[in-house]
Amino acid sequence: MEADLTLSPRPDHTGPAYQVIEPDSLEAIPAGRIGLWIFLAGEIMIFGGLISCFLLYRIAQGGWVADAAHVDWQVGTINTMVLLTSSLTMILALASARKDDHAGVIRYLGLTVGLGILFLMVKAYEYHGHIEEGFTPVSGMFWSFYYTMTGLHALHVAGGIVVNTVLLVMAVKGTLWARNGANRLEFAGLYWHFVDVVWILLFPLLYLSLKIG
Amino acid sequence: MSSSTVHDSQRFYIEIWMWLVGLLVVGTVVVFLPVPKNLALLVVFAVAAVKAVLVVRNYMHLKAEHLIIYLIVLVPTVLIVGMLIALMPDIAFRW
Repeated sequence: MEADLTLSPRPDHTGPAYQVIEPDSLEAIPAGRIGLWIFLAGEIMIFGGLISCFLLYRIAQGGWVADAAHVDWQVGTINTMVLLTSSLTMILALASARKDDHAGVIRYLGLTVGLGILFLMVKAYEYHGHIEEGFTPVSGMFWSFYYTMTGLHALHVAGGIVVNTVLLVMAVKGTLWARNGANRLEFAGLYWHFVDVVWILLFPLLYLSLKIG
Repeated sequence: MSSSTVHDSQRFYIEIWMWLVGLLVVGTVVVFLPVPKNLALLVVFAVAAVKAVLVVRNYMHLKAEHLIIYLIVLVPTVLIVGMLIALMPDIAFRW
């Protein structure tokens, strides 16, 4: 098989003007991708810390079953389905970008933004119901965890929607393709999939496990 | 990337999504089945872990990443799990 080598300008200005980059070398990884993963490592600490605290206090205090009974698993399941599907449309947008299918990128990115907004609308509907029932972030330990974890996650979803919308506008205007659009989509996708993974873990923790007892 | 390869990758991503949806159904239904509590909890969290791994490996392409990316992810994960284990006796079990 022919090796997929890349020519890169030499940063030290010594020797030939260009150096050969091996596909498996560290230099072959786009700096943006490494930066994104370092950012996600910080996010793992934030959400991992919250989930760890939830587990520790849940084991220590028990209970919370009566509070958790007010959390609607059906709505949570719908929202999980929405976010899983948005991950699919995001990766399909990237696949479309890699085959220069501009219409496909716009279609799938638009769907991703739409599904993200739908997720937030369902979440807002849930919050509205809880607050009407009298459950606020200060109604007890369970509700403090519930609002903190889902609220912080919703903020991340909102951030992802903003980034994806910017990319969508660039794609519609045609400016995305001249600026390494596939890489930008890949980085935005990494973030979006991470947000999906966080929800995949929060859903059983907050909606299902406490139904079991 | 050739058109057929892209088409295959799209089909692959849709297959992964179908697995995710199937696992979502399994993880949700098991809560309401007459099975022992601990078994149900195990299935719920195992299914969530498998779903998370499916997304990270296939949608985030971690399976094809350089070792340095694995290390970047591993460090905070080990720190979090270590913190959880270290605090468990004091906070959760109050030994």
